[in-house]
Amino acid sequence: MSLTLNRRTFLKAGFTTAAIGAGGLPLEALPAEAKGWNWERGVCRFCGTGCGIRVASKDGRVVAVKGDLQNPVNRGLLCAKGYACAQILYGEDRLKRPLLRKRNGQFDKQGDFEEVSWKEAFDVMKAQWTKAHTALGPTGVAVMGSGQYTIQEGYAAVKLVKAGWRSNNLDPNARHCMASAVTAFMQTFGIDEPSGCYDDIELTDTVVTWGANMAEMHPMLWARIIDERLRRPSYRIINLTTYANATSEGADLEIVFKPNTDLAIWNYLAREVVKRGAVDQAFVAQHCVFAAGPVDIGFGLREDSLKAYDAEKDTQARQKTVVLTREEAIARGLDPEAKHERAQSASGSPQKHWLISFEDFQKGLEPYTLDFVAALAKGDPDEPLEAFKAKLVQLADEYADPKRKQVSFWTMGFNQHTRGTWVNEQAYMLHLLTGKQARPGAGAFSLTGQPSACGTAREVGTFAHRLPADMSVDDAGHRKHAEELWKLPHNTLNPKIGSHITQMMRDLEDGKVKWLWVQVTNPFQSTANANHWIEAARKLDNFIVVSDVYPTLSSKVADLILPSAMIYEKWGGYGNAERRTQLWRQVVLPPGEARTDVWQMMEFSKHFTLAEVWGEQKVPGLDADGYEKGKLPNVLTAAQAQGYKPDSTLYDVLFATPAAKKFAWPDPVAFGKPNSTVAHAGITWFPEKALFEEYRQFGLGHGHDLAPFDVYFKREVSGLRWPVVDGKETLWRFNDQYDPYAKKGSGIDFYGTAMKKVPVGDLDGPKPGDPKALPGKAKIFFRPWQEPPESPNATYDLWLCTGRVLEHWHSGTMTRRVPQLHAAVPEALLFMHAKDADQRGLKAGDLAWIESRRGKIQARVTLGGRNKVPRGLVYVPWFDEGVFINKITLDATCPISKETDFKKCAVRIARVG
Amino acid sequence: MNRTVLLLSLCSAVLLVADSPAKPLPDRALGLSKGSVFDVPSPPSYKDEGSEPGEKKLPKRINQETPPVIPHSVADCLPITRSSNLCVDCHAIAGPKKKGDPTPIPASHFMDYRRSPDTKGKAIAGTRYVCTACHVARTDAPQLVGNRFRP
Repeated sequence: MSLTLNRRTFLKAGFTTAAIGAGGLPLEALPAEAKGWNWERGVCRFCGTGCGIRVASKDGRVVAVKGDLQNPVNRGLLCAKGYACAQILYGEDRLKRPLLRKRNGQFDKQGDFEEVSWKEAFDVMKAQWTKAHTALGPTGVAVMGSGQYTIQEGYAAVKLVKAGWRSNNLDPNARHCMASAVTAFMQTFGIDEPSGCYDDIELTDTVVTWGANMAEMHPMLWARIIDERLRRPSYRIINLTTYANATSEGADLEIVFKPNTDLAIWNYLAREVVKRGAVDQAFVAQHCVFAAGPVDIGFGLREDSLKAYDAEKDTQARQKTVVLTREEAIARGLDPEAKHERAQSASGSPQKHWLISFEDFQKGLEPYTLDFVAALAKGDPDEPLEAFKAKLVQLADEYADPKRKQVSFWTMGFNQHTRGTWVNEQAYMLHLLTGKQARPGAGAFSLTGQPSACGTAREVGTFAHRLPADMSVDDAGHRKHAEELWKLPHNTLNPKIGSHITQMMRDLEDGKVKWLWVQVTNPFQSTANANHWIEAARKLDNFIVVSDVYPTLSSKVADLILPSAMIYEKWGGYGNAERRTQLWRQVVLPPGEARTDVWQMMEFSKHFTLAEVWGEQKVPGLDADGYEKGKLPNVLTAAQAQGYKPDSTLYDVLFATPAAKKFAWPDPVAFGKPNSTVAHAGITWFPEKALFEEYRQFGLGHGHDLAPFDVYFKREVSGLRWPVVDGKETLWRFNDQYDPYAKKGSGIDFYGTAMKKVPVGDLDGPKPGDPKALPGKAKIFFRPWQEPPESPNATYDLWLCTGRVLEHWHSGTMTRRVPQLHAAVPEALLFMHAKDADQRGLKAGDLAWIESRRGKIQARVTLGGRNKVPRGLVYVPWFDEGVFINKITLDATCPISKETDFKKCAVRIARVG
Repeated sequence: MNRTVLLLSLCSAVLLVADSPAKPLPDRALGLSKGSVFDVPSPPSYKDEGSEPGEKKLPKRINQETPPVIPHSVADCLPITRSSNLCVDCHAIAGPKKKGDPTPIPASHFMDYRRSPDTKGKAIAGTRYVCTACHVARTDAPQLVGNRFRP
């Protein structure tokens, strides 16, 4: 040990190891193709970075993976998870046959799992679907999808659920991941997804991470940031976080703030930019307007849950009425000594907004002085206030400097936030004010968590309100366009937005959803306040199907488990956080009777005739122009006029269409690779290509253009960033130098069309009068800071934050079956400050109870390691089903995006025993 | 039913794809945490690897493509910061590996694949600087389930 201590002393003297040379090392021998390995191009299975991978196979098995040198995302490198992309296929308990709960040879909800044939599985699944549909109509059935769906899987799900079943109850786990990013993009720019791309990392002067521990969650983007920092002394990294983490270790400046006060910090920064005259006046005048929205919008909680635990009721009451704290009164310009009660009356219309003047915007910012914000936002009780103030000033200096470019990155710290939409919009607020948006090296950049959160969940539109290419089910024009492309009779599509994923769980508990199919996700582990949902799944009359590759926690509460093919066992495509679409070929066959998700949906669709689903349907609460209240019309006659028969199946109408069958299999693009969807369906056409080509039609011509399927398989193509126009990808959207959709000569053209006609008003609300059209403009929102729904008090005295770790992906179902990743991080630990532990008689390694209003679990304490939490806050990762932290978390959501806040609730900790 | 029987029945369920039906499986036998979803388990205690560098025989590498795990204690090596990287300090030595020496960092780590992919640089590539992004530490935790990946 003395050796390392000496070395550390040596290093502290200023010696920098980064400059050490290493002469004469031989290049490690590359794996020889002579081994009989066949290398194929793929994409990493895990996060939203979208690293390129090379996959080697031999004798029908994947034998190795490596980083793709050609891919500009990661240039040959992968993180510890990425290198495990081969091992994740081979866990010993891969699901290989359908498993159904049975007793005495029959389905029985209280039975044990027995192997069944796919035929029996689908027959029971269909009978249960019909039972739920007959009782409750299209809203009684639901599908939980994923940001890990391939593009084709997501598109198949949208068609089956929305066009086939006429239900909008399709929502992805991506709701938990970046729904707030989506709503902020739509409200600010009128079109979804980032303007910039990863090239910004090398082009900017400063990276600011806000609630984004990139060192662990996006390690290969972080590698690029650190690379740039080491080569360019003027490059800076600033980390804003609620606890010191791995990203802090590479940062020049770390700012630890109190949970939820990020909104106050943004307003301080905006106020400074205005006061210092650092507003880019020309940019704002030409390209921006100012906007505001309602303030008392609640917290996305249920007001009237009959099944709420007694302990939950005080938090839930805040959904109705809030008494402002002293600080909230100050932030609203009210008398801090008086009592202010505020009904959360805008909780039904939180997305409304209107234009305000610059003067009003400035008035909104006025309370956010340095003194006010520093006292409010300081997150480490042991840090002196003056030191914290100085850091905020440094941050303001950075953003206000017209000569320096910044990229602000964020992920779950912003998105999983009861004011998630607002805080996303505040990032755009500052970048727009300073004219640092949609320019190389400058922009607010929303990262994503999942490999196809962008490509599938958002672009394909697997959300309860969406249709492909940014379209919405509640827009008559959008429905009409989709009905034309899908060759559906008029008014087949349901205009009423479906349940978001957390609402689906609530619906299950309330008996409003009685049939649920879970695909490519593990929602019973990943949804907050989980005790309610596992109880609903196991103890109520409903039927739950889980398609997965391994037995997950969700499959334990399921009634039917379907074995699925994974990643390189199927054809697919993902879209990453920089709009890069990447497709891959199937490399090996799925094991046993595991089937691709596309096959599962196509095959199940054969069990439905049009007569069953396209007759008149009841939809409680449906109220839209052209529809009878509470009803979807019978469209069978119109369907017949289009050439369909009442006994045509959804397979015929949605999947095996004449157009789809034109994409023949075998296809030269396959280069002899297999297609298990084709093999198991016994067909001679290519569903993954047909689905992609049909889907692509939605995006052409209005800023969402993708290239033809085959282009993505060209040797020189490592994915392409959309819009892809005339074969060229787009690096910076809205910028006329790079984006063919931006009007030439405009410089910047925020051409998105959604929500671009809004009323005019002031901070208090809209004024009567005609709405104003805003072509080419982005909105700079004023959004106030507010208290969260639940903060520590005398009973539950600590903040709980949850998240991921580098070594594990989401709920750990793949990575915990990889020996070296499991051995590295075998369980989720409770990260505590030493003083907080000491006060509770706890030391490192001890077992502790973690308890909230919603449940209690046990975890082992750690006092050091990669997260150094301040006093008053604890952190627990969520990958470990044995430390089931979502039994503790609060299911409050951003009222606009419906995304859950997994980052803050109140808990108490006690010693076990 | 005891735990062994449960595990055996689980194995048979996933191994057999032939027509002979496996025994019924209760949900508590499925997944990584054996037990009911309503249980509140006490998580086991694991120890971080505590050996000094060089003290233990190196574990077998998975293959040449997968970064080797860190075989020794990292307690005194982390964190890696811009001014201190104890991993590089020990491992940036000329190869090939000699008995008793740390494992040398291979030449690939001195290549800047983004800017000059054909030239070996003097310093470790910045993208490789955070060693723990790819090389993981280890504990004494046994595998939860076996893995049949064979390179």
